[in-house]
Amino acid sequence: MLPDTLHKLPRDERFAYARLLAYMARVDNEITVDELAMFEQRIGTALLSPNQRDELRLALKNPPSLEECLEGLGPESGRLALRDALLMATADGSIDGDEFDVLQEIADHLGLAENAVNELIDWAKIGYRWMEDGIELLNKLQQG
Amino acid sequence: MDMFCDDVANLDASERSRYADLLVLIAAADGELVREEIQVLEGLMGRAMVHPEARTSIRKGLHDTHRLTNLLKNAEVQTLRFVLRDGALLAAADGDYDKREVRILKQIAKKAEISNDELKQIFDWVSNGWEWHQTASSVLNLSASKQNTLE
Repeated sequence: MLPDTLHKLPRDERFAYARLLAYMARVDNEITVDELAMFEQRIGTALLSPNQRDELRLALKNPPSLEECLEGLGPESGRLALRDALLMATADGSIDGDEFDVLQEIADHLGLAENAVNELIDWAKIGYRWMEDGIELLNKLQQG
Repeated sequence: MDMFCDDVANLDASERSRYADLLVLIAAADGELVREEIQVLEGLMGRAMVHPEARTSIRKGLHDTHRLTNLLKNAEVQTLRFVLRDGALLAAADGDYDKREVRILKQIAKKAEISNDELKQIFDWVSNGWEWHQTASSVLNLSASKQNTLE
């Protein structure tokens, strides 16, 4: 929900980015409301057409293979997809082993440093704290 | 830990529409709508799980910036506080706060019984988020992200 460079990418790469998120949402075979909200947020941010969004919602039910998802990604869109796949994987509170393996596979595909996924996890934790601060601020205002 | 989602999606459908309508007004306040603002707006509507058909009619509000009074009438205070938080994020999307955007935010704050000091806390929170978001660039070497700074 912060401004991003995603919209500067070609539409087909934005679509590939969102397909990877659909794949990620289903890695643990279930999708929580939090993951769904996060997914809707990201496909909104990707500025895809309503038809593409519908197609992506269907992809949540029948996700493509990881290889298919990675095929359409360029270097920049791939990195953004990794970042947001990680945020999505943590939307339900933790990253399980399967999710971590997929993230590592994406990072390897992109040729990133070996510790990139762990660094991103640390980055996401800071973001969580920031979001919590926002929610706490609102709660404080509600009580005021 | 529902970090990236919160109670916005749990508001009544009518309050979620009002939330999105008010965000549209904030986005359009400075008379120009840049892609960064549309991007944040679409993301926030997605997170609020506003129905796709409702989003279509809400987008039309981008061309009607005179509805603030009606939208504030009978609004729930909780909705307005979500609008303030996410409206501040949205208003900052193009890199700075336009005085017309701030004026609308202050009107909403008044209705939501939020003081100027408290509104400033929200702006500070937005700045912190921008700084956090930027740090992903160094991990991932995202060149284009480096152009985004909040003034």
